[in-house]
Amino acid sequence: MLPNRSRLSVLVFLLPPLLLYGAAVLFPILQSLVLSFFSWNGISDMEFVGLANYVRMFTGDDIFWRSFFNALGYLAICLVLQLGGALLVASLLTSLSRGRELIKTLYLLPAVISTVAIAFLFVRIYSIDPVGLLNQVLQWIGLGALERPWLSDINTVLAAVSVPEGWRFTGLYMLILYAALLSVPLELEEAARLDGASRWQLFTKIRFPHIRPVWITTTIMATTYGLRGFDIPYLMTNGGPGQSSELLTTYMYKTAFTSTDFGYASTISVFIVVECLAAVGLILFMLKRKADA
Amino acid sequence: MIKLFRTAAVAAVTALALAACGGGASNPSNVSPTGEIKPREISWLLSRPADGAVINIMKKLADDYAKDHPGFSLNLITTPDRPSYIQKLETLAAANKLPELFDTDATPFAQQLAKQGKMVDAEKLLKDLGVYDNYRPSALDYQRFDDGSLNMIPFQFELEFIWYNKALLQKAGVSVPKSLDDLPAMCTALRKAGITPIAIDGQDQWPLERYVAYQPFREAGPDFIQKLKKGEAKFSDPAGQKSVQWMEALGKAKCFQDGFSSQGYSDAQNQFTSGQAAMYNIGTWELPSLATDKLNPAVRDNTDFFTLPTTQGSVTAANEYVSPSGIGMAVNTKTYDPLVSDFLKFALVKYPSEYAATGALSPTTNVETAVPANATPLYKKALEKANDLGNEQAMPWDTQLDPTTNGRLQQELVLLVQGNITPEQFTSTMDNAVAQNAPKFFK
Repeated sequence: MLPNRSRLSVLVFLLPPLLLYGAAVLFPILQSLVLSFFSWNGISDMEFVGLANYVRMFTGDDIFWRSFFNALGYLAICLVLQLGGALLVASLLTSLSRGRELIKTLYLLPAVISTVAIAFLFVRIYSIDPVGLLNQVLQWIGLGALERPWLSDINTVLAAVSVPEGWRFTGLYMLILYAALLSVPLELEEAARLDGASRWQLFTKIRFPHIRPVWITTTIMATTYGLRGFDIPYLMTNGGPGQSSELLTTYMYKTAFTSTDFGYASTISVFIVVECLAAVGLILFMLKRKADA
Repeated sequence: MIKLFRTAAVAAVTALALAACGGGASNPSNVSPTGEIKPREISWLLSRPADGAVINIMKKLADDYAKDHPGFSLNLITTPDRPSYIQKLETLAAANKLPELFDTDATPFAQQLAKQGKMVDAEKLLKDLGVYDNYRPSALDYQRFDDGSLNMIPFQFELEFIWYNKALLQKAGVSVPKSLDDLPAMCTALRKAGITPIAIDGQDQWPLERYVAYQPFREAGPDFIQKLKKGEAKFSDPAGQKSVQWMEALGKAKCFQDGFSSQGYSDAQNQFTSGQAAMYNIGTWELPSLATDKLNPAVRDNTDFFTLPTTQGSVTAANEYVSPSGIGMAVNTKTYDPLVSDFLKFALVKYPSEYAATGALSPTTNVETAVPANATPLYKKALEKANDLGNEQAMPWDTQLDPTTNGRLQQELVLLVQGNITPEQFTSTMDNAVAQNAPKFFK
């Protein structure tokens, strides 16, 4: 417990960032909440419509549901690539004795490249006419039958726009998990090994429980980033073809800035906020229950 | 807590309401404001190529004007990418922060701005400056709203043709289509010969949207889209169905290059200019790259164009097709003063001759376009088409429909052409979209 005087000074120092946070984050969220009860196109008079926007969203808008499920698919692919990939690479790294720094840097590289460059890069990779890298490789290894315009095929486009986002941040989460793995006490591992533990047991009984707090943080980070994913799908396909790669975020953006339906776009954004909070709550709940069990 | 929330909510609504109202007390039809000319910086928010003729000429004219009016300058803020520009414009309009001059098509959104008196009456303005009669009637008509009012000034005049490669057509044993209905069979023949029939920029979506406008324009005339956008005509009507079926047929005949929906403007143009694609639908703004010695020598002598084919029983003539005068410039009522008025007078009188000297078609008829020295014979042939235009013109649908319906149409068209949805699904989705969204914009 801090003495009174220093508690006051802590409060004094905490207040400015708190106010800034309130003005930059909480106020816009509140503003969206208010706007979601109105019909407003930016230049007309604002008209109070009560819950009509919410009713429309949940019952009368096929694109909303389509983009909601697309967003879940996008999230799943991103999480598998980012967390699964990161954990795998980080674990392998710890068993490497040379060249760790080089591999770390190479994996981290995509995270520092600008989004627009990544989007253009992958548009070229997926292209069929002129033949892009992916289709070319498929041809070389005798899988020419799988060749397709990945971004124009409604069955592959969602995965095609999710992969760049997943690939991009794998290195970042790898770095975080690698740092956590390094902190696992060596003597514990050694003792387990002497007791005859296999590599898998070592991982599940010693390493993973030890990095669980970091794992929770990275899961929350990756999930909220995934739910807010916008730029790569927007740049690569603009949600198309049709609504095959439309996410809630791109749909909200278009509703606000193309359809100028600011009221309804606010309704969607409120949903996104609630969805993110629910996702974080769910993760905490599940991981905590597992830890207690 | 509830009280705090309520206060915040009231504050939010007040702030937004304040942003939405305010300003704009001037009168849109007062085109010759009196008073002293006080030079200052004025801005033009525009969506034109950064190094294009319009911007270069207006910069030069602004510099000339500033010589006699020290302190004057014209700040050109361009966003050539149209969807981004529209978002910028709409956001600024919502914040009531539009500059002195801004570009817009005659969209439903622009019409709402005009109704609120935010745009100066351009017809009165041009008449007041004594230049109204110089303009091509069709260049002005393109800028007009449905009620005939004119609030935007054109700076261009373009004709849209279907460019084709004679050698590739010959190789496939096909000739220039006599009717729109010949196109699907033509594509099939070209595909059989291993040629991409049509190169299209699918990424920007408007090029594909041109095609859906063609059949109704021939079948029912320019009124069809005017009615369709208000829900008075439907895709399920005969003219609409003809268009839907035709689009599906184009898709089935694989008229467009594989994976067209993710290919951009330059991808499409490269396919045509490199001799891979047989046809390419684009306007006279591309004359410098399609009808001069800049064009790849291998295809230069094989390049020609035809205008939009008619159909059997067509109500519009062969010399009536898409002839847009480009995005127009609106004058903001709120900031319209003796300076803006005087500058426009100076610039609009001098603009046409400067513009025609660059080899482009002026929106006025009082000047002759100079054919560049490096032009192929096709250049002159294209320019001459402007003297032989009929009275009607096919309007691009993306300037006509409300933004939500327009977005949905662009998405559904790709699915229809790719064969992902049936014509019936397309028809019902689009008729529902119009019914749901049009009333908000066309009250």
